[in-house]
Amino acid sequence: MTIGLLIAVGALTSVGVFLITARSLSRIILGFALLGHAVVLALVAAGGEAGEPPLANRVSAETIANPVPQALALTAIVISFGLTLFLLALARRQQELTGDDLVEDDLEDLRVAQ
Amino acid sequence: MIELVFAIHVVGLVGAAIAGRRSIQGALRVAAIAPAATTIWAAESLLSGREPVSASMTWVEQLDLELIFLADSFALMMTLLVSGIGALVFVYASGYFAVDARGSIRFPVTLLGFSVSMLGLVLAESVWTVFIFWEFTSITSFLLVGHKLSDPSAQQAAWRALMITGAGGLSLLAGLLVLTDDVGSVLLADIAGSQTASPLAAVLVLIAVGTKSAQLPFHSWLPGAMAAPTPVSAYLHSATMVKAGVVVMAVLGGAFVDSQTWQWLGLIVGAATTLWGGFVALRQRDLKLILAYGTISQLGLLVTLLAVGTSKAVFAALSIVVAHALFKSALFLVVGEIDIRTGTRNLDELAGLHRSMPVAFVVAVLAGVSMAGIPPLLGFAAKEAAVEAVLKLSGIEQVVAFIGIVGGSVLTVAYTFRMLAGLSRSPEDGRTITALAFRPAMAIPSIIVAGLGLVGFVLLGTINGIVTPAATELNAGSAVYELLRWPGATTALMVSAAVVLVGSTIGAAIHRSETATVLGEPEPVAARVSDASIDGVLRLSRRVTARVQHGSLPVYLLTMSATVVIAAAAFLPAVSVTHLEWAETPVQLVLGLAIAAAAAAGVQVRTRLGAALTLGAVGVAMSGLFILQGAPDLALTQLLVETIVVVGFVTGLGHLARTFPPVTQGWLSVRLGVAVMCGLGVVGALAASSAQPSGSFPAADLLRESVETGGGNNIVNVILTDMRALDTLGEVVVLAVVAVGVIALARTSRSPGRAQ
Amino acid sequence: MIRSQSPIVHISVRAATPLAAVAGIYLFFAGHNQPGGGFAAGLVLGAVVILRSVAGLRTPDDATVLVATGMAIIVAVAAAPLVWGDLLLDQKVVSLELPLFGKIKSGSALLFDAGVVAVVIGLIVSLLNGLAPAEFSPESPGDETST
Repeated sequence: MTIGLLIAVGALTSVGVFLITARSLSRIILGFALLGHAVVLALVAAGGEAGEPPLANRVSAETIANPVPQALALTAIVISFGLTLFLLALARRQQELTGDDLVEDDLEDLRVAQ
Repeated sequence: MIELVFAIHVVGLVGAAIAGRRSIQGALRVAAIAPAATTIWAAESLLSGREPVSASMTWVEQLDLELIFLADSFALMMTLLVSGIGALVFVYASGYFAVDARGSIRFPVTLLGFSVSMLGLVLAESVWTVFIFWEFTSITSFLLVGHKLSDPSAQQAAWRALMITGAGGLSLLAGLLVLTDDVGSVLLADIAGSQTASPLAAVLVLIAVGTKSAQLPFHSWLPGAMAAPTPVSAYLHSATMVKAGVVVMAVLGGAFVDSQTWQWLGLIVGAATTLWGGFVALRQRDLKLILAYGTISQLGLLVTLLAVGTSKAVFAALSIVVAHALFKSALFLVVGEIDIRTGTRNLDELAGLHRSMPVAFVVAVLAGVSMAGIPPLLGFAAKEAAVEAVLKLSGIEQVVAFIGIVGGSVLTVAYTFRMLAGLSRSPEDGRTITALAFRPAMAIPSIIVAGLGLVGFVLLGTINGIVTPAATELNAGSAVYELLRWPGATTALMVSAAVVLVGSTIGAAIHRSETATVLGEPEPVAARVSDASIDGVLRLSRRVTARVQHGSLPVYLLTMSATVVIAAAAFLPAVSVTHLEWAETPVQLVLGLAIAAAAAAGVQVRTRLGAALTLGAVGVAMSGLFILQGAPDLALTQLLVETIVVVGFVTGLGHLARTFPPVTQGWLSVRLGVAVMCGLGVVGALAASSAQPSGSFPAADLLRESVETGGGNNIVNVILTDMRALDTLGEVVVLAVVAVGVIALARTSRSPGRAQ
Repeated sequence: MIRSQSPIVHISVRAATPLAAVAGIYLFFAGHNQPGGGFAAGLVLGAVVILRSVAGLRTPDDATVLVATGMAIIVAVAAAPLVWGDLLLDQKVVSLELPLFGKIKSGSALLFDAGVVAVVIGLIVSLLNGLAPAEFSPESPGDETST
């Protein structure tokens, strides 16, 4: 893994964590999307050095990039895509109910704690 | 066979749940079938004297966690009691609940659930099986004690029972861990055969026994548990569940025969409990409470005998277990019948009961005489065995056991005498008790259990055929003992005669001076102490809950992120920078920096549109990196996904205010700190992991497999659709669920009724 | 959704639709041997739907049918091998000689991918319908109902 990739992953993680702890749901969604990117990038980078695209008819075993983390990362991208869309729908619903997208404290939780 | 027994109970649970929709009576009758069948099985196996059957089911092999059951003589004797009395209690309960009661599933199913748990406990052969079913009995007992949801005192009593027996469960777990660690086996037979047990294990197990079997100072939950419906009191709190502690003490006893801690702690606690329980029972006016404290007293007797642990004492203890189960459940059943038919359980209001409810009175006398240990009833033979066991001891041990057992017996005779005298006295003002109609479903089970005390004495050989092998299972020396119908003029008989004489004199004296005000309601200090400590625990748990479950999403997420930092800290020692290079290609570095810059902009940006655009920028730069990395599939997908997400952001959030609400300053520094630490932690962990490359991947194999079995050249695609197809299936299901969720959310918000 | 009334947007989207659809279908068939695949194809076709929606053109309005069809295909393909005694999700590879495409060697994975395409398009349509601002749907009173 190179310093360039590490910088990208670190920045994405930091900004993601910072944003998901915000009160505004749209920022939280943004944060989750960025965290997703961080994970995917880390996954691909952990697979080893860059190589030729893993297309069996065009490369040899010596120069090929590791396809396994790529396949895992593809699944990760799709899942975080689904998660982001669902959060967007939730934010939309929240806006319809309260007029903004602030995440309020869970009153039920507070009630339990009384 | 054991599998079949459990299977019948599962069928019974389902059947009771179905029948309970219509009427609780039907459900209870259905529920009675499984215990009845089990009783027949247990009786048949005992009398035929077959080799014990066993059953096991592996749960977690690596942890030595297995459910193991073994139906040896002791287990079968307990099964006979648990299921036999259980079946009768189910029949009784069908008379106890009003005929017009609405259908109810909860009570029959919970009671049968308890029955299975208790069955599992007595049949268990590994310590973890014991523990699991032990906890099940605590939970079902909690549910049953708190059955009347509208009664706050019942709820309070249920909590108290759960807290005390739950704490005992933890103690048992700790004790069993120490024991299995010492012995190196989880099988009860191995543990009972070892004599290596430590004092620590002895204390922990005895605490558990004390909580479950209501020994001082943990006894206070049992009188409170009388808030449960009477069938529950008869079944759980006299015949079976409170015996769970005694059962565990009996089966583990072999490991502690040489333990001074075990003997003295058990002896002193048992003797004190039997005296205290008898003493308090003398002062009660509520019939159910008399029986409850009487039960505490009898349990103390059992603990005393098992702590002594000689072969005669073990034999006597098991005899008392059988006799007590019969007479105490009979008494509870009668008291429940009296309560239902007259509307009171108060001794003062029940004078003249022998006229208005003759059958119930006869049953009460029969069971009471057995409890007092007077011939010709089973209780007499059992108590004789206990006295003889004590007379065989020596030294100070004998003194303590003698005081406990003889003193307890005197008190038992006294409170029994007082209770029966109170029921048969003529009412002063000539009032008669008005009792509701005779209910066969209630009367017959009580007649059966009380009658068994008499039949058992007549057919003492059969009882011996059950008790002696069971005692031999626990202590090989017990094989020579048997219960005697008439021991002859022995010392033990003299002692017994004196006990009856003194006890009935005390009982008669109290009965004559029966002005309750003199004695007053006893309020044992122990109950107050245990209540205070339970309140303390509950308050503490509320305070902890308020701290950790505060309802603030940001703080939850901050906590999780901080945990990530801590987890990542473990990697830091392995970080080395020497192998790190700046970038594989200059473009990679540029793109990495671009991503970092775009992400940083995401923090700064004030407008929602701007936020969507920074996300898009990150996505595009990511695609670039994927191309460089040799992952065109990822690049393509990333680009497309990012497009849709950005459009979604703009559409979904377009109607919100253009800018974000201002950031609250309070947590800002904490959030920034945790966020930066998190980023550094992840970088550290990744740097550490890349310092230890895991070697090359099987490139040639993947190439070959992809073309030959996958039929495609795009290896990533073949992995997704062929090698990991099940994952991909799951992934598509996730997408479909998201779609359904989005549609559902949209429909809810569009429904016409919403605006009102 | 920002429904543009501009004729230029209108015409160019209408013209781009078949082109993008062809691109999507290409990705779909290419997937097994080159970058692409069902998911990417679904996203491209979904993007077409979004574009048409932006331009105010007709779009599919029932996401439920698309998602249900897709899932039905996927589950059928996944479970079919069980019928003839193979493992769940086992592949069948067949060779086809088609005009225009030439020789296509592909498996049941292609059918599986078709299901994926349907689910992805369904998801995007549901998103469009679900996130569309309330003021466009007549029966909804809009944002002012919030309290």
